[in-house]
Amino acid sequence: MRKGFYVIVLSMVLMLVFAAFALAKTEVVLWHMEQPPHRVEQFQRTIDAFNKANPDISVRQVVLDWMEAYTKVMAAIAARQQPDLMFTIPDFTTAVKSSGAVQPVDDIFSYLGERYDFIDAAVEPYNYDGHLWAVPAYGMVHMLWYRKDIFKETGLDPATPPKSWEDLLNYAKKIAEAKNIYGIGVPASKHMYTDQAIYTFMITNKAEDLFDEEGNLIFNNPRTVETYAFYKKLYELSPPDASSWTWAEPQLAFNTGKMAVAIEKGQFLLPFEKESGVSGENLGCAIVPIPEDGQRGSIYYSNGIMVLTSDNKKHEAIKKFLDYLFNPEVNGEWLAGMEPGLFLPVTTNTLQSESFWSHPVISQYRSHVELMIEQSKYGKLFGFTKGRVNPNIGRISGQNILAQVVQKVCLEGVDPAKAVEWGQEEMLKALRK
Amino acid sequence: MFKKWNPKSSNAIFGLLLIAPLLVWLLVTIGYPLFLCVKLSFLNVEFIGEKGVFVGLKNYINVVLDASLWHAFRKSLFWVIGNVALQTILGFFAALILNLKIRSVSFMRTWIVLPWILPTVVLAIMWRWMLSGTFGVINYLLEKLGVISQPINYLGSINEAMPALIFINSWRWFPFITVLLLAALQSVPQQEYEAAAVDGANSLQSFFYVTLPNLKPVMTVLGILGPLLTFNVFDVVWLLTQGGPSRATYTVPVLIYERGFKAFALSEAATISVIAFVFLAMFVVVYLLLTKMSVSEYARE
Repeated sequence: MRKGFYVIVLSMVLMLVFAAFALAKTEVVLWHMEQPPHRVEQFQRTIDAFNKANPDISVRQVVLDWMEAYTKVMAAIAARQQPDLMFTIPDFTTAVKSSGAVQPVDDIFSYLGERYDFIDAAVEPYNYDGHLWAVPAYGMVHMLWYRKDIFKETGLDPATPPKSWEDLLNYAKKIAEAKNIYGIGVPASKHMYTDQAIYTFMITNKAEDLFDEEGNLIFNNPRTVETYAFYKKLYELSPPDASSWTWAEPQLAFNTGKMAVAIEKGQFLLPFEKESGVSGENLGCAIVPIPEDGQRGSIYYSNGIMVLTSDNKKHEAIKKFLDYLFNPEVNGEWLAGMEPGLFLPVTTNTLQSESFWSHPVISQYRSHVELMIEQSKYGKLFGFTKGRVNPNIGRISGQNILAQVVQKVCLEGVDPAKAVEWGQEEMLKALRK
Repeated sequence: MFKKWNPKSSNAIFGLLLIAPLLVWLLVTIGYPLFLCVKLSFLNVEFIGEKGVFVGLKNYINVVLDASLWHAFRKSLFWVIGNVALQTILGFFAALILNLKIRSVSFMRTWIVLPWILPTVVLAIMWRWMLSGTFGVINYLLEKLGVISQPINYLGSINEAMPALIFINSWRWFPFITVLLLAALQSVPQQEYEAAAVDGANSLQSFFYVTLPNLKPVMTVLGILGPLLTFNVFDVVWLLTQGGPSRATYTVPVLIYERGFKAFALSEAATISVIAFVFLAMFVVVYLLLTKMSVSEYARE
C-alpha cells in the first residue's frame, strides 16, 4: 500500500518535471551596445512584440558600452556564460571570432536570404574563411552635413554645398571669417570617430586599401600622405576641442551653430530642430567632397548580429527571431524608431517599407535619407576592401592607429609623410603580434 | 625591520587562526590572480580564454625593448609626482582650515568629501564638459574675466592635458588626504601647544615645532600610500583622454589596458603588469629603508 503510494507520487513528480521541460521557454539572451534610452526602449518594444507572438521563446536584451564590449564578451566566453546573440561590427567580429565561440550563420542567412533581399555591401565584411559570421542588421554611412542658414548668412548658396576638397576648405575659411564661428569640424581625438573621418577622406582620395591583393600593408603611400596633409588643413579650422571629441561634442557644436559643416553619420536628424532652434529645412546633407582625380565614397559599414550559441533549440528560436526582425514593416519601425537616419536598412524589402518611410523624422528628411542610402553604395571599410578580410584588422582599429596618425600630424605637427610612415610601422607591429 | 616571530607560542597560533579567514580571502582575491598574471607573462596568450604556449622570457624582452613602456613609465612618474604634490598641498591646507574653530566648519567638513564620493564616470563627464574648448564654462569664465583671449583646449592639447588630468585627479582625492590629516591634527595634544606658548613660541613656530612633528607619522604613511594609489589610477585617465592626445597622458595602466584589450596581446599586458608590480614593490622597500620605519609601525599608523 505504502509502496504504491510512493510510486504514484514519484510518477506525478516525473510528469510535472517533463511538463515543465516541455513548456519551458527557450531563452535567447541578446547583447547590444545601443545605449541611448530611446534606442533601448525601441529594442524592448520590438522584443516584447516578438515574445508576445512567440510564447515558447523569450528574447532578453542586455545593454553594454562599446568600450567594455570586448572585455565583457571575451570574459563571458571564457566562463561559458556568453550571450546567444550579440551585435557587432566587422572588425570586432574578427576579434571575437578568435575565441572560437562565434558560430557560422550560413544556415540562418540562407533561410533569411530566401525571404529578404540583403544588400551585398552590408553582407560582404562578414563573409570570409568560407562562412558568414554575422547577419547584417543595419548600415551607417558618412555624409557632409551643413547649416543652410549659416551658408545663407555668409553669402554662400545653400543649394550648392562644397563638391571638391578645395571648395570645402574655401567654404570653411569664408564662414570662419564672416561669422566668427568654426567653418568645419573634423576630429583629431584617439577615437573611432577620428578613424572613420580620416578614412572617409582616404576613400575619396582613392587611398582606401590598407592591404594589396597579396595582403601586404600599403598604408604608406602618396595618396594617404596627401589625405593627411589635407585633413590637417581642415583641423586647423575646427573647434579647439576637436582633439578630444567623441560622438556627442561635434553634434552639439553643429546643432548649436558653433560650426557650420561636419562629416558624420545620420544621427543629426532627430535632435536638429530641438537643439538648433531653427527649422529642419536648414539642415543640409550632401555627399562627401571629392578631390581632383578622386572618387565618390564614404566609410560605410553594417552592424551585424553574431550567434554565440551552438544549442540547436536556441538556433531555431534565433532563426524565428531574426525572421521577425527582418520583416520589412517590423524592421522599418525598429530602425527608424531606434535612431532615424543613423540606422539604414540592409534589405531592399525594408527600403520599400511603409513603416520606415512614414516615421516622422525620416519623412521630414526623406531626401537626406535617400541620399545616404545612395551614398552607401559607394561605401567602404578599412581592412575589408578588395573582397579580402584581414583577420588582424581588429588590432589596427582597436588601437585607433589611423587616429593616432591624425594626432601626429595635427597635434604634434609631424610631417604627414613621416607620420604615415610611423603609422605603417605601428600597423606592422600590431599585425606581427 | 621585521619583528621576530615565534610560531610556537600559543598567542601566535591564536593570532594566525584569527587572521586565517582574511589570509584565505587575500590568497583567493590577490594571490591567485597575481600568480595567474605571472604565469600569463610566460605564455603567448592573445585573447581572453586562450590557453597559449610557454615562450620563456620572450614577452619580457619584447616589452623592455619597446619604447612605449619607457614612455609610459615617464608619463606615470610625472603623473605620480604631480598628483602627490598637489594633493598633499591641497589636503594640508584644507585640513588646517577645517581644524580652525570657526563657524560653519562642520558644514565644510561634511561637504569637502563630495569630490571623493562622486562616481568616477560622473566626474569625468562633468569635467569633460566644463573644460570643453567650445562650450566649457571654465573657458567662458576665464575669457569674461580677461584672463585668456581665446579658449584653451585643456584635454586635447599635448601640453595641457597632463596638468589638467593631475588637477582633476587631485581635486578628487585631496579630501581623502584632508580627512587623514585632520584626524591627525585633532589628536595633537593641546598641552604641547600650551607648553610652546609658555616658551614664547609664535604661531609659526608652534606650527613647525608642534604641529608638523605630530603629523609626520601620517605624512610618512601617506608618502607610501599616495604614490601606490596614484600610480594605479586608470579610470580618470581613460575616461577623460584615453592616454591621448598623442600619448601625452599615456600612463602605465593605460598601456596595460590597451595592450590587453585593444591590441589583443594579453600576455604582453600581463608582462607589463608584472614589471610594474616589481617596480612598485621596489619603491616600497626603498621607501621603508629610507624612512627607517618597520612594517608594523606603518600598520600602526
